[in-house]
Amino acid sequence: MVGPGERVAVVGASGAGKSTLLAVANGAVPPSSGSVEVLGRDPSALRGRALRRLRARVGTVHQHLELVGPLRVLHNVNAGRLGSWPAARAAWSLLRPQGVPEVVGALERVGLADRVFDRTDTLSGGQRQRVAVARLLVQDPDLVLADEPASALDPVLADAVLGLLAAPASRGGALLVALHDPVLALRHCDRVVGLAAGRVVLDAPAAALTVPDLAAFYGARA
Amino acid sequence: MTAVLARPAAPVLRRDRRRWAWGLAALVVVGWSLAAALGGDVLNPAGGAQVGRFAAAALSPDLDGAFLGMLGTAALVTLAYAVLGTALALALGAAGAVAAARTTWGRRGTGWAAARGVLAVPRGLHEAVWGLLLLNVLGLDPWVGVLAIGLPYGAVTATVFAGLLDEVPRGPYEALLAQGSGRVAAALYGLLPLAAGGLLSYAFYRLECAVRSAVVLGLIGAGGLGYQLALSFTSLRWPQVWSAVYALALLCLAADVAGRAVRRRLAAPRRRAGVLARDRVLTAAVLGTGAAVVWAWWFLALSPASLVSARARGQLGHVLGAALPPAGDGALLREVGAQAVVTLQMSVLAVAVAVAGSALLAPGAARPPGAGPGRRLAGAPVRAALLVLRAVPAPVWALVLLFVLLPGVLPGALALGLTTLGVLGRLAAEAVEEADPRPRAALTALGARPVGAWLYGVLPPAAGPVLALALYRWEVAVRDTLLVGLLGAGGLGALLASRLAVFDWPAVTTVLAATVALTLAVDLVSDRARRVLR
Amino acid sequence: MQDRSRRAFLAGTALALATAACGRSSPVGSPPTAAGTLRIGAIPDQDPEVLQRQHGTVADAMAAALDLDVVYSPVTDYAAAVSLFRTGDLDLVWFGGLTGVQARLQAPGAQPIAQRDIDREFHSVFVVDGATGLAPSDDLRPLAGLRFTYGSETSTSGRLMPAWFLQQAGVDPQGFPGGPGFSGSHDATIALVASGSYQAGVLNEQVWRSRLEEGAVDPAAVVEYARTPPYADYHWLLGPGVAERLGADDLAERLTGWFTGLSADDPADAGVLELFGAGSFVPARATDYDRIEEIGRALGLVT
Repeated sequence: MVGPGERVAVVGASGAGKSTLLAVANGAVPPSSGSVEVLGRDPSALRGRALRRLRARVGTVHQHLELVGPLRVLHNVNAGRLGSWPAARAAWSLLRPQGVPEVVGALERVGLADRVFDRTDTLSGGQRQRVAVARLLVQDPDLVLADEPASALDPVLADAVLGLLAAPASRGGALLVALHDPVLALRHCDRVVGLAAGRVVLDAPAAALTVPDLAAFYGARA
Repeated sequence: MTAVLARPAAPVLRRDRRRWAWGLAALVVVGWSLAAALGGDVLNPAGGAQVGRFAAAALSPDLDGAFLGMLGTAALVTLAYAVLGTALALALGAAGAVAAARTTWGRRGTGWAAARGVLAVPRGLHEAVWGLLLLNVLGLDPWVGVLAIGLPYGAVTATVFAGLLDEVPRGPYEALLAQGSGRVAAALYGLLPLAAGGLLSYAFYRLECAVRSAVVLGLIGAGGLGYQLALSFTSLRWPQVWSAVYALALLCLAADVAGRAVRRRLAAPRRRAGVLARDRVLTAAVLGTGAAVVWAWWFLALSPASLVSARARGQLGHVLGAALPPAGDGALLREVGAQAVVTLQMSVLAVAVAVAGSALLAPGAARPPGAGPGRRLAGAPVRAALLVLRAVPAPVWALVLLFVLLPGVLPGALALGLTTLGVLGRLAAEAVEEADPRPRAALTALGARPVGAWLYGVLPPAAGPVLALALYRWEVAVRDTLLVGLLGAGGLGALLASRLAVFDWPAVTTVLAATVALTLAVDLVSDRARRVLR
Repeated sequence: MQDRSRRAFLAGTALALATAACGRSSPVGSPPTAAGTLRIGAIPDQDPEVLQRQHGTVADAMAAALDLDVVYSPVTDYAAAVSLFRTGDLDLVWFGGLTGVQARLQAPGAQPIAQRDIDREFHSVFVVDGATGLAPSDDLRPLAGLRFTYGSETSTSGRLMPAWFLQQAGVDPQGFPGGPGFSGSHDATIALVASGSYQAGVLNEQVWRSRLEEGAVDPAAVVEYARTPPYADYHWLLGPGVAERLGADDLAERLTGWFTGLSADDPADAGVLELFGAGSFVPARATDYDRIEEIGRALGLVT
């Protein structure tokens, strides 16, 4: 249960089920047992247009980013709007880019405005991660699901990016983020959920936890 | 007291059983075909003088002004056919790829199989056969040449495009679906850009193939370079034949160079920060292609109306009425069976010759990035030889080889092998060029000899793709046996030609059905083999 | 604004394309709508590169004499010529004996117009590789054990009649070792027999004589073995309904008259006659080819 405006960090060792939890949350994978409700709907029960409408309200930053290398940064960011654009507009935008100011605005917030017209496969890993975040900003979702969004960033940038992801929460959106870094989890989230072997083994307000607590949690897998 | 020492089991080198089984099967099939081709005497040294005459003419092509003028016009016709045929093939291929991709059907296997089955029919027939069939329906209309290239190429292109789409990493596409975009938009942003390089370079490769096919169509009377070549060939005017071959080689070279430029640009784009600048080369390629299509349409004076005219419908009715039901008498079916075996042997030998030749020539023909001018220059004769090998039509090779080889499967198979080598050798050289240069550089840096560096650093990554290409060409070789069968080599193509010559339409239908079935079978086997190679 | 101009440009291009294509005649083939044009063609048999490339000579002479639009359409394939005659893309075609019969069966009402003086009694010659040591003879049976090639599959002089005479002599025309080859042309037959890959072959006597005269044949390598009895061969065939379409009911008579009136003494006529290797043209009748049709049926080449 993630409430409106809540920022939840999911922690756990590799393979504990963090990515699966996020995939279930946007309806990519049906839950193996139990039920799931996202923004008031069950994604596993929706099909076609209804599912697309729900998904357009859920922003995701994937662990492997899933950006398209041969496309320009501009288009990869604009892809965040494909959930609301009709197909013809999406196609036209590849020839005559649409909504460039918004794209540049989003890229400015992640510090990449000068690369807007570059091909995405010329960017470094950290820069790509920021492109994925810019895509999310352009999508402007009500729920953000992020899988290790800061793994390739230096500490300062990681901090800034997580701040951006948490922004929708300030206007009633929610954030569910899988993190490896205890410091970031405690600084940016209200609540921490710990997973091990697919089960919840920890669920506590961030205020009640300390960095050593979480570090011990990661260490506990051995 | 003896101590039993528990030794850890020594690791055993385990071979990949499936690969070994396929490799062994391939050897057996090649050996069987070779045995069939080499039974009895095969050489006829007395014909050396005739081959000499053919070869000598290569150095003294006919340069008569009027003749060259005629060749120029003919080359334009061939180019127009090739451009429009390719454009049609790409359009059909793009539409068909969606129908034939596993991506589209997901787990619904029957739909996918049905789409593949439908595509097998246009693909299983040679362009020349399409040309002859269309000629019977449309008469002397330029659409004959365009459709005869566009329909079979469209089906091949659909299969290849579908493969490219299926092989693109699916992550970005699924990520877009996950954020609510529609399938079309998701494919536009998440699949197409990733596949674009492969699609574009394949399109230029198809254009080069289409130029050669347009020449084959000229042999059946569709005009162009092939027509002039056929006329000179019938009277054995070798200097004229060589002039036509050189003109054809120039066209092929132009398509090749354009394709190479586009590929290079896609692989290593120029970076210009801060502006939305389209790549000039790519923009020129796209605009140039569009202009060429418009020009070709105008030049051939195509009229869509003739496709649906009452006359075309009437002739279609006539041909279908005559061709159905297919002949099914025992003698014909036995003949079909026997000739299918010959076709198979010929195609297997052709591909074996081409693979062996490619292994020898590809290292010389390749232009690895960063090679010095000396290295590039040294490769030029090899590349030119490959170009001539594929520019000389297979029927010409078949006749020339028949001067020094006794009639049978061998001259036909070798003739096909030479043209296939011309194509495969070039593709193999490209595979070598595109291989990652770093492993080889690392080996050279630690003091390996060039051969060693080649064997350990280049061959392993290049062998798989080259064999996969050879398997693709196998299917083409099966169809091309049609071109070399008449001179004693036999095969389904010779049988088809003999039935077509006497207008025995029911038998033609039977032979065509057998050809499609054989092509489909070869495609299935080669698909399996390619999967093992992956 | 920019979008609008782009759309206008595209529409304009499409329109220009459509109209341009309408106003132009294709460099390959003639539009079937050209109602007032006589479309002629020829099978690619003897010296096709000369005949097909100098077709202007025939078309122009015929157009001038008969006051008709005449276009020549090139064809390189025997079966294609027959099919195009059936579809009505070719009105008047120079056929061989067998292809003419096939064409008349597929286009009922077609009418033979004229043949050359030599076509009433045409011959083929069997040639052998000098290395076989065979001396010229009338007995065809020694050929049975040799590697043997015909010319084109439906050539009358390179396939049909020789096969018939072989059969009459007791030799199975399909029974040569390894099966007979089909060289594709008379010149290729000579070259293949000269190389020895095929030890024997058969071709059109007219081509054989002219190659001997040109000195293009090594007399030691290729030897004339036998000459066939005479048979009727090449002729001009006019399609059904052509006269009606052109609005000239007497078209057949006028064509026959023009062909038979060609004289070697007239320099313009001589050009046409020379192209066909003819001394003169004479009228042709369908009955001249009845025997060809019978033999074609007997050998399975007419169905």
